[in-house]
Amino acid sequence: MRLTKKKEVDSVIRDTIDKVLVLRFGKASDLVCLQLDDILEKSVREVSKFASMALVDIESEDVQVYVKYFDITLLSSTIFFFNAHHMKMDSGTADHTKWIGAFQRKQDFIDVVEAIYRGAMKGKLIVTCPLPPERIPRFQLIFKDV
Amino acid sequence: MSIREIFFGLNDFEDDVNDNGGMDMAANFNGLDEFSELQKTQRYIGIMHKIDDVNQGLLVLEHGDSAEYQLIIDCNKLCVDIDKEILNGHNFTRDTYRLKLPELESLVPHPIDYARVLKKIGNETDLTLVDLQGILPSATIMVISITASTTRGKLLTEENLNKTIDACDRVLDLNFAKNKVLDFFESRMKYIAPNLSSLVGSAVAAKLIGSVGGLPALVNMPASNIQLLGAKRRTLSGFSSANSESHVGFFQETAVVQHTPPPLKHGACKLFAYKSILAARVDLARGDGTGNIGRKYRDEISKKIENWQERPPAKLPKPLPVPDLTSKPKKRGGRRLRKTKMRYAITNMKKLVNRMQFGVPEKSSLGDGYGEGYGMLGQAGCGKMRVTVNHSRLAPRVTNMKCKKTEQDRNDATSGLTLSLPLTPVQESSSLIPGQSSYFSKLGTEANEYYWQA
Repeated sequence: MRLTKKKEVDSVIRDTIDKVLVLRFGKASDLVCLQLDDILEKSVREVSKFASMALVDIESEDVQVYVKYFDITLLSSTIFFFNAHHMKMDSGTADHTKWIGAFQRKQDFIDVVEAIYRGAMKGKLIVTCPLPPERIPRFQLIFKDV
Repeated sequence: MSIREIFFGLNDFEDDVNDNGGMDMAANFNGLDEFSELQKTQRYIGIMHKIDDVNQGLLVLEHGDSAEYQLIIDCNKLCVDIDKEILNGHNFTRDTYRLKLPELESLVPHPIDYARVLKKIGNETDLTLVDLQGILPSATIMVISITASTTRGKLLTEENLNKTIDACDRVLDLNFAKNKVLDFFESRMKYIAPNLSSLVGSAVAAKLIGSVGGLPALVNMPASNIQLLGAKRRTLSGFSSANSESHVGFFQETAVVQHTPPPLKHGACKLFAYKSILAARVDLARGDGTGNIGRKYRDEISKKIENWQERPPAKLPKPLPVPDLTSKPKKRGGRRLRKTKMRYAITNMKKLVNRMQFGVPEKSSLGDGYGEGYGMLGQAGCGKMRVTVNHSRLAPRVTNMKCKKTEQDRNDATSGLTLSLPLTPVQESSSLIPGQSSYFSKLGTEANEYYWQA
């Protein structure tokens, strides 16, 4: 599902009950984003019983509120929700609130979603990432000079 | 006995393979004239003339006219009669030609083909000189030429040969006449049986009705028979039976069935057979004159056949099941688990109770089979002298809480000589078996105290 407006995003977050909501913020033209999208599409049906997915375009103006709120700066960020709660995941990177980058394999993504589901059903708000560190994409923060 | 019956009777003799040839031949030659009797009948000649007239436009029949209908009925009957005659003729020629080439009848079962082949071969011994192209498929021609070279038959006499060829001619004439009748029929089919002809096409409808001898006869046949009308018996000549179409009759000539893929042809013929009876019934009752019902059936059948050819819907991948959140306690071995299990395990005593010795009635608690059975307990041959109760060290001991010394009891004790355990005369006398609970004795104690109090 492609979302462009704030209202749509709102409704999606509110209406997904007892399922993990995977919200991908990114641009349709970016390479990493495309990879991520590819994996998401392939696993939509497999995960459909406990997760649902939506793609949000960063470039649309309506959604900038969310972009600011979640502090989305890097290319594609994926944010997980469960019953309108924002789920955090500790994957060894600095930012726990979202998942940055693409997944290496479809199974990786499914594992992450399952971990979030289990944690959420138990009542946790933060879960640990089941992937080994090699498969977690790391980005070096390049500042203006360095 | 009619002439026909005489002929049929003679025919039965000829079915013996043993050579009764000589005698029957003579009888047969009288039969030749008998079998071709039909061509001389008034009825036959009259109908053929009428057909010619109609075809040439000399006689105009209005549709729905009773005269036309009568002609149609006559044509039907004639078709059937011609068939019979052809069969008779075939039998005759076959029997005479057996002397020459006995294998031919099994290689070429169809009467018309047989007659044609016979005419061509005549009295030839060398079949390479005979050109059978166009009459038979080349495979069959080859087989015939091979069998002819090794046949045990002898040449026919001139007279026999002439008579046989004459008979063949007549068979072919009859066939020609039949085709004429059928063509006439076909042209009239739309007005005779509009629904049937719009369902299967006028040619096939004509053949159907012609082979059965009328619309009423067609209606009375069961569908499975109609399906097989017109099925030819073909010889395999050593070829596999995979490609020989079996159990297909006139219906395979309909346009729809021609266009269906081969594996579905059978089913399509069946559908047509069933629907054609319904259409024929409508026609018999002169229900729908426009043929709409036939068309409707044909469309239904086409749709059904298309459905059969549809691919099944694409198989979608099954979604993963929801992760199971119930954490089952892991029950896998370990010393502690083993010990807890042993507490509830079946004891040796129970095991013995569960078994019995063969042929020996088990002892029971109330004797004579009443009460609980004891099984192998205490039986000779179970390897134990007497039943012992093994106290499992792990079984929970049933402790009587009431027997324990309470604080209050200790406080109540006044002198060192008195026992803190309340003992009454009743309790003293009963000997407590070690290990057994003293629950009942305790009850007795209290009651006694109360009793003796007053």
